[in-house]
Amino acid sequence: MRIPVVLCAAATAAVLVGCSAAPLDPTTATSDVPGYLAVADESVTAGGTLDLQMTVDNGAATGLDPQLADVATSWQLMSLVYETLVTVGPDFSIEPALAESWENPSPTEYVFHLREGVTFSNGRPMTADDVVGSLERLLAGEGVWKSQIGPVEKVSTVDEHTVSVTLSEPYAPLLAALANVPAAVLPMAEIEDGSLDVTAQMLGTGPYVVESHRQDVSWKFTRNDGYWAEDKPSADTVNVVIAGQEQARMAALQNGSADLVMLGNVDAPQLLNGARGTSVGTQATTDFYYLMLNSNAQGGKFDDPRVRQAINIALDRQAMADSALGGLGRPTGVTPAGLPGACDPARVPSAEADLDRAKQLLKEAGAENLTFGLAAYSTAPAPAVAQVIQQNLRRIGVEVTIEQLDEGSWSGKVYGEVPATFDAALSWFAGYADPGMVGKWWNPEQAGFNVGFMEPNPELNEAIDKAIATPEGPERETALQQLCDAVDTDAQMIPLVTRPALIGYRSDALSPTLYETEGYGNVFRGIADFRLLSK
Amino acid sequence: MTWWRRADWLTRSGLACLAVLVLVSVVGTVFGIGGDPDAMVGPRLAPPGVDYPLGTDELGRSMLPRLFEGIGTTLLLSTLAVLVTAVLATLLGVAAGYRGGWLGEVVLRLVEVLYSFPTIVLAILVAAVVGPGRTATMCSIVLITIPLMTRVVRAAAVTVSERDYVTSAVISGARWPRILVRHLLPSLSGTIAVQGTYALSVGILVEGGLSFLGFGVQPPQSSLGALIQQGSTYLLAAPWLVVAPGIVLVVAILAINVFGDGLRDGLEPREARSLV
Amino acid sequence: MRLFSWWLRRALSAVLTLFLVSVLIFAASRWMPGGFAEVVLGPFASPEQKAEVAAKYGLDESVFVQYWLWLGTALTGDFGISMISGEPVTTEFGLRLPVTAQLALFGVAAAVLIGVPLGVLTAVRAGGRRGGAALGRLVSGLGVSVPEFVLGSIVVFLFSRYALGLTVGGYVPFGQDPAGNLQSMVLPAAVLSVFVIAVAARTTRDAVLNVLVEPYITASIARGESPGFIVARHVLRNASIPVITVLSTITAYLLGGAVIIEYLFNLPGIGTYLVQAVGRRDYAVVQAGVLLAAVVFIVLNMLTDAAAGVLDPRFGAAAKGRKR
Repeated sequence: MRIPVVLCAAATAAVLVGCSAAPLDPTTATSDVPGYLAVADESVTAGGTLDLQMTVDNGAATGLDPQLADVATSWQLMSLVYETLVTVGPDFSIEPALAESWENPSPTEYVFHLREGVTFSNGRPMTADDVVGSLERLLAGEGVWKSQIGPVEKVSTVDEHTVSVTLSEPYAPLLAALANVPAAVLPMAEIEDGSLDVTAQMLGTGPYVVESHRQDVSWKFTRNDGYWAEDKPSADTVNVVIAGQEQARMAALQNGSADLVMLGNVDAPQLLNGARGTSVGTQATTDFYYLMLNSNAQGGKFDDPRVRQAINIALDRQAMADSALGGLGRPTGVTPAGLPGACDPARVPSAEADLDRAKQLLKEAGAENLTFGLAAYSTAPAPAVAQVIQQNLRRIGVEVTIEQLDEGSWSGKVYGEVPATFDAALSWFAGYADPGMVGKWWNPEQAGFNVGFMEPNPELNEAIDKAIATPEGPERETALQQLCDAVDTDAQMIPLVTRPALIGYRSDALSPTLYETEGYGNVFRGIADFRLLSK
Repeated sequence: MTWWRRADWLTRSGLACLAVLVLVSVVGTVFGIGGDPDAMVGPRLAPPGVDYPLGTDELGRSMLPRLFEGIGTTLLLSTLAVLVTAVLATLLGVAAGYRGGWLGEVVLRLVEVLYSFPTIVLAILVAAVVGPGRTATMCSIVLITIPLMTRVVRAAAVTVSERDYVTSAVISGARWPRILVRHLLPSLSGTIAVQGTYALSVGILVEGGLSFLGFGVQPPQSSLGALIQQGSTYLLAAPWLVVAPGIVLVVAILAINVFGDGLRDGLEPREARSLV
Repeated sequence: MRLFSWWLRRALSAVLTLFLVSVLIFAASRWMPGGFAEVVLGPFASPEQKAEVAAKYGLDESVFVQYWLWLGTALTGDFGISMISGEPVTTEFGLRLPVTAQLALFGVAAAVLIGVPLGVLTAVRAGGRRGGAALGRLVSGLGVSVPEFVLGSIVVFLFSRYALGLTVGGYVPFGQDPAGNLQSMVLPAAVLSVFVIAVAARTTRDAVLNVLVEPYITASIARGESPGFIVARHVLRNASIPVITVLSTITAYLLGGAVIIEYLFNLPGIGTYLVQAVGRRDYAVVQAGVLLAAVVFIVLNMLTDAAAGVLDPRFGAAAKGRKR
């Protein structure tokens, strides 16, 4: 009777013995420099070809226009070519990029002094007109970043190397918002005279230029020899291969055909344990998973805030971080954990209530035998997070049916109809570089994409506005905690855990520069410094 | 069942293996051996041991009950789908082969249309249209297995309908439902059974392939394909995740195939001859 | 003349099949939940942006109008533009076809060069010892019973650790680097071949066994002809029709894209492209891809029938006189 089981056990044991003999070497990247997982070794000779592998390509019908790019993979690829006025440091401080310095004479006024000697890769020098034109184009356009740039009233040229930005009211995240690719400086003269179609071609001031691109297959970038930063970039050529399958990327890393790959599996460090010459960086990000409870769902499942709050209370974020994310994620409120000034997720109302309270809330709302469907992406580790949610909610008698969907079906289900017809859905946001920024998406009138499933909540909207208007300081911390509390109580979009980024690289072939924590999902941030050891 | 007495050891062990798998799965699931398959009870990725005989997966769930559930899901889904295929293919095949005419033309055309779709793409389209899960898996198996079976049944029906006893039944004025039940089906049952077993092995492969691409049964339900898909990334770090379901899957398909071969050899006997 | 009219019927029915396939795939692609606009423009797109994209690709028309327009241009060889890449669909397929074709070539070669001889060999040795026959069945059964995704996963893992000069992924076109191309294609082709060889061997074995019981073989043996001569002269010819049929099925299957193999080994072929296109709702690509696969399938079928007619004149006659 038990023969197959015995056979399986025997085979398992045999394989185990074989595997445990594999040599182990430390594969987790660490560095002595605070804020960095790895710092490129500048003593290594520059040059060589850098082979990278990513999970998905820049896949928008909007093409290569950075102002319309709304996902981190697009930002990542475009950042090789386009640059911004300012950039984000390892500790989320704002650092100079195309602007060498700036002043903030009043809460509503910023003056940027542009770096001299910056040229676009066609050789034309960048001017203040390009900066002003780019920002005006962004503000007049349809891109998502328009609302993150804030209440900009006027952008004007002071002189050839000076630009001023005037706000209609104070906006704390302005510099952080200017540090992301959609706010990049575009070659406005070429765009305006029609010689450049910015949706089909990339022409920027950055370290690399595009040599070729095959959608969903590969990119080839070559060095921009006129790059303003001296002796940068280090690698001559950058090849990017798009490999959807995790196994294929792991294989490419192990056999050395790729120098650096993006990994999705949270156990990648263990999986690559024993593979010689490989290293895995587990980069914390400000990206986080969140659960959408559709307040327009059929049968009014979630229109009662008490039901949503009960679910929120029953969610065990630490279990999600430990089980589904292998200990690499962190529980978070709407201000992404890891950003300076972010609120403490253990202090929000739902974290201080217990399961009895949750059951009581369900009872009061008359929803004791609640069942609902949860739509999740099929990309790991989202299904794992969904399964932890399912187990969590079983504790208060709520049954969840998981629907694991491909990108198309998921988007159609969640965004396709207004009002939306799904029950609940799981997704993640990029968390950006200022704790007040992502909170904007909790106001459906500003975000737009969630009008179909989220009722505007005036109190919440007030908290959002206050968090972004209050400048740095103790007052802002209070405002951010109030924002977290308001989102937690509203519970239409419930922040869960941060989402780690795993980067595997050849420690014997590549010396990269990687931040410990990244706000815009840009693993390639330090790419101009990457040094190739053996090529 | 005279063919069974002539069946060789391989055919018999094929059936025995299947019986053991079904029994193990039913007993394991009904008596809850190893606990709740969905509960995250243990440490993540624990190797096989006393507490977890087949180890735990990446969410700390015991693999033993998940394997029981997985065998059951895979066999049940494929068997149900193949039964549907068998019924539909018999009706369509007989209609095309015995009745012929425009009805036969329509059936042949539909079958050819389905046949022209690349297998996995067809399955993925089905999953996209009806939503991934059990229904999509079963629909896919039916749509993928039905063309071949319909053709074979039709060909057999053409042959059978030309036999004397059918002709005489027609002449004696029997109506076609009666001819179908009394004369055609008994003669076709062998062909249908043989094709059914092959369709079953295809069904298991399709279930596995769909789950492997993420369009199969929905979590936390396990199936052999889903278990292998989840485990395949952990092949070196946690081989127990994929070894047990992998072996069971191969054994199941192999058992069905050798049983099918034996069934065919028994029902369509053929004297083997050696040239050397 | 009768043969000609039979072929004419074949051609007409092929056209009819293709038409039905095109209707079905069109319906299925529009039936899928989630539209192109949501997928490609992402959650943040405004309704105006979505409408603009829909208008650009004619998705704002009714389904019937869309189908009519698509059919009209498709008949002229223009299958539209991939909404994801903005390139003509024909260009996209042109880039991916070599990968799939090369893989198919390897697979079919393995089936012909290894599978068929193996089938003949096991068949002519099958009789006599019952145990031996069972063993042959077991081995050939094993080949068709190990799913591609199981064998492929194992191979990917073994060879990513211990490369042995072969690469997993890292596909390069043959024209660009023949050695590198072969390095990256050997493993997927090998995994694919296991299944294909087993299928070819099983079919061949059955076909040969069926021929071996024919009276004319008995006569040959009685005449004292050598086994090699009998196989070459009588068996192969008479067993060839089912073998050719299965080879054409294998070819069609491989040209439709070995999705799982392409996925595992990250080969930019047609199979993964189609799966991706379904996921992204890139309608023009899905429609063209399925239609292409159907054309390949139907053409191969007709070629098979033609070959069968040449090899066995009875086949053509039977096809014509078949009761319908």
